[in-house]
Amino acid sequence: MIPWKLVLKNIRGYRKRSVVTVVLSAITTALLVFSSAIMDGSHNTMIKNAVEIYPGYMQITHRDFRDTPGYENLIFDLDSLRRSLANIPDIAAYGARFETYVLYSTEARSVGGMLTGIEPRAEKQLSRMASSLYEGEYLDDEDGAVVYIGFELAKRLKVGIGDELAFIGNGADYSMAADVVTVKGTFRTGLFDFDASAAFMNKRYLDEVMVSRNMATHVIVLPANVEDCGKIEDRINQEVGGDNVAESWFRTMASLVQAMKLDSVFGYITLGIIFIVIFFVIMIYTLLTVYARVREVGVMRAIGTTPWGIFVMLVSESVLLSLVGVLLGGLLGACVAYYFYLNPMEFAGYEEQFKQYNMVATAIPADFAPLVIARDMLIMFVLCVCSTLYPILRLNRYRPMDAIRHV
Amino acid sequence: MKHYLLTILCLLFIFVDHCPAEEMDIDTLMQQVEEALNGKTAQMNLTMRVKTSRLERTIKMESYSVGKDKSFIKITYPRKDTGVTFLKIDNAMWQYVPRIERVIKIPASMMLQSWMGSDFTNDDLVRESSIADDYHCKLIEKGDEYLVELIPKEDAPVVWGKLLMWISKEHLIPTKVRYFDEENQPVRVLFYNEFKKFGDKMYPSKWVMENETIEKKGNQTIMEITEAVFDQPVADHYFTKRALKQFSQ
Amino acid sequence: MFKMILKIALLSLFRRLSRTVSVVLMISVSLWGLLFMEGLYEGMMEQMINNAIRSDCGEISVFAKGYRLEMDIKNLITDPDGVEGFLKSDPRIRSYVKRLEHQGLAATAHYSRGVAFYAIDSKAEQQQGRLHEYIEAGDFTFGTKGKGVIIGAELAKKLKVKIGRKIIISAQATDDEIASMALKVTGIIRTNNMGLDDGAVFLDLATFSDLLQVSGGVSRFAFFVQDPELIEGVQESMQARFPDLEVFRWDQLYPALMQSRVMMKWFNLVTAFLVFSAAAIGIIGVMLVSVLERIREFGIMTAIGTEFRQVAGVVLVESLLIGLAGYLVGSLLGGFTLWHFKEKGLDLTMFSEAFNAFGMDAITYAIIRPDYFITPFAAILIAAILSALLPLRILYKANPIKAIGEI
Repeated sequence: MIPWKLVLKNIRGYRKRSVVTVVLSAITTALLVFSSAIMDGSHNTMIKNAVEIYPGYMQITHRDFRDTPGYENLIFDLDSLRRSLANIPDIAAYGARFETYVLYSTEARSVGGMLTGIEPRAEKQLSRMASSLYEGEYLDDEDGAVVYIGFELAKRLKVGIGDELAFIGNGADYSMAADVVTVKGTFRTGLFDFDASAAFMNKRYLDEVMVSRNMATHVIVLPANVEDCGKIEDRINQEVGGDNVAESWFRTMASLVQAMKLDSVFGYITLGIIFIVIFFVIMIYTLLTVYARVREVGVMRAIGTTPWGIFVMLVSESVLLSLVGVLLGGLLGACVAYYFYLNPMEFAGYEEQFKQYNMVATAIPADFAPLVIARDMLIMFVLCVCSTLYPILRLNRYRPMDAIRHV
Repeated sequence: MKHYLLTILCLLFIFVDHCPAEEMDIDTLMQQVEEALNGKTAQMNLTMRVKTSRLERTIKMESYSVGKDKSFIKITYPRKDTGVTFLKIDNAMWQYVPRIERVIKIPASMMLQSWMGSDFTNDDLVRESSIADDYHCKLIEKGDEYLVELIPKEDAPVVWGKLLMWISKEHLIPTKVRYFDEENQPVRVLFYNEFKKFGDKMYPSKWVMENETIEKKGNQTIMEITEAVFDQPVADHYFTKRALKQFSQ
Repeated sequence: MFKMILKIALLSLFRRLSRTVSVVLMISVSLWGLLFMEGLYEGMMEQMINNAIRSDCGEISVFAKGYRLEMDIKNLITDPDGVEGFLKSDPRIRSYVKRLEHQGLAATAHYSRGVAFYAIDSKAEQQQGRLHEYIEAGDFTFGTKGKGVIIGAELAKKLKVKIGRKIIISAQATDDEIASMALKVTGIIRTNNMGLDDGAVFLDLATFSDLLQVSGGVSRFAFFVQDPELIEGVQESMQARFPDLEVFRWDQLYPALMQSRVMMKWFNLVTAFLVFSAAAIGIIGVMLVSVLERIREFGIMTAIGTEFRQVAGVVLVESLLIGLAGYLVGSLLGGFTLWHFKEKGLDLTMFSEAFNAFGMDAITYAIIRPDYFITPFAAILIAAILSALLPLRILYKANPIKAIGEI
């Protein structure tokens, strides 16, 4: 039904128009694909950073722990929780933490801060504590009275590698818990507040001081596939339920998620405005080129082609051209996105900004998601075709005799 | 007639001697109460039991104090906490932890944290606001016991909205104190029970602090005085920072 | 002569009405979009900066040397009266406030929390800053005897206090003893600066300095100058006059804000460029075709003796008319939209969590500035003129006889 031969002939015949239309749609598609990739990439990176530095993708805590943190709301049977977790598939790693607040004391000063017992080997997969090593060494599972301390905290207390440091706090049974430890290493995450008030020890050893064996404040879980957080959260809650509850990062870090959404909204608004402009450009261009063929159309009408037939022919041309343009542009955009996926963009000079907002400035890769790219291409395709509809419809309104006489 | 009046007057005087508080004004009463509670000096052996919904813990200690301004406490049980010492002089508090061999001054931020996990705060031990300085007292009832309402003075640095204190007429020592917040909700109640004779003095040997807020309902801290000597001189050297480490053993 | 040129230009524009309208629409929509984004983003930016400046650091802050690193109450400004005298006498300085800052504890019968104390002079702060605008409940006053406090809204929630309730504050005085006093809550404040709302207690300067035994002590002077241009100059003269104090500009204390501002300006520039490129493309396209279509016409005109100058005039005027129309419509639309959001503000409270986390208000007010309209005017003018050049070149080269023969 569609006069393909005619369509192709027209496309080849009006070469300049074809080329320009294809180029316009290609450029815009490439722009959309690339912008989406960068926006998604930057958001995902920010979220990844915020989640992976310490909080983790999923946390299991006592039901009431988030609202009322304290020793009344601990995970009291860590061993049975571990056994339950072992039965759940699709979990890549998990580890327990015992977070408590203590008073750190050196000759120079006393400073309050957080002290957390971790399982060093498991923690390597669960957070970036190990990779944030600044000086000295990270912890391992056999460690005793040594501590892995934040870089800024070490500065405040005026200690370095090998120096001694005392802390006092309360054990899980409220007894006095205190110890003298040696600084084994310092870490620097880039999050100023964190680096200025946090320190870590081997949980197995800290459990003796804190009388917290078989107890934990958190169990951090890393799913095999980060996208499946929701499903695994449900699964864990079914198995473990009761006193403890599992929560994914999008619940524990709600404000960050919202901020990213907001940024997306603004990003898309900006893109939207740009695309409205492009829409008009294509429409205008089509208007111009289509009007150049008024006579031709008039002749076709005169020999009996129905308006519908004209419409079909012109729209087919437009569809074909848009398709080619979108495919080319999509390919181009995808290649550029892929390049920046492998070679993330650096953000020199913006460290201060990130520090202020307690974010970490790292290189930001573009997101390479074929599905998203396909979606973007589809959107552009529809946009391009629609922008040609109006001129085509206008064209059809000409009466054949007027059309033939058109200058 | 005159004889009759004289007899009555004598009888009245006798009664006055036996029930002096009847005629005393509230401020003098409270002053006596405070003195009776604190003693000029005190040396005590105490056992403290902390009960929460989750666990029960027992701590034993020795305490030396002069009035309200100076006190020295040494923990003697359990083994894990043995040797921990506390020193309070006026408003400041220090502690010594033998395990780390350090003397630590307790900063303002830790003052309102619970002392050794009990329902008492560091501040309770340190400040023990003076009734006379910080409260207006009003006698409400004079039944079996005195019921006194204590309203904090305008500028007094106490967190309570008001206190209700039941005082034993016989011993002039409180039997129960209830602490209210500013909305008149009870926050905690302190019972002074089991009066025993220590030397010359009748003194409550069992203090029970119960938490009355919704979050911590059921939590209890029980202090039992196993031995006490009042108003004997206490050596000054207990109240120095050196003492913290020295008497830790 | 000009009238004739104008008539011809107008006629030819109206002859191809849909085409003309399309271009005008394109220019005006993109201009409208650009204005909207510029005004809104700049509004957001300025609000953020103002929040910080007015509630915290002023345009310039003065501290004792080393105070910022170790906020020790023993390291206060040594000659506060001298500094005050300087600030009063220098005509470049518009207003100033003095503050005493310290950390300590705030407690009620139920809870206690570590807080940051800001001892201020409420009258001076009202004149200079915006703090009083953020009062949510109660008043911006410390009562007749200076025994009141104004606390952050989130802090009030945690401590469970209302107006009129008592708060006990404790802090370490200069004699190393802990000093406490009872104060009444006279106001509750919500600044959207999380740090303040969560942990700030504002109280009377004299009351606090007496409590800490540093009568007349000042830890910071914050002030505004008559014109932002003067900031650096005033900073220099002040630093020279008081060599043992540290004088900071706001962007040195909040470098992130300055960076955000710079980034925003860049962003606006890029968008403006994109929009105007599109506009130029549109005009060129239309003008080109329009001229080529009428090459016969122009040929005839030249043949009957019209000078090239006049023919060029027609083309130029057409181009300018299109540009002007687009500019007018776009400015009207954009101006109206901005004015609407300037008065009513853009309500984004559904993203309020995200905003609060970054210290911004959920209701954004747009900004309108004259140069929003001047730059586009110049740009469109230039685009219109440039767009006419190519068609003119073609006309110039054309041979009248051949042109007449064209179809």
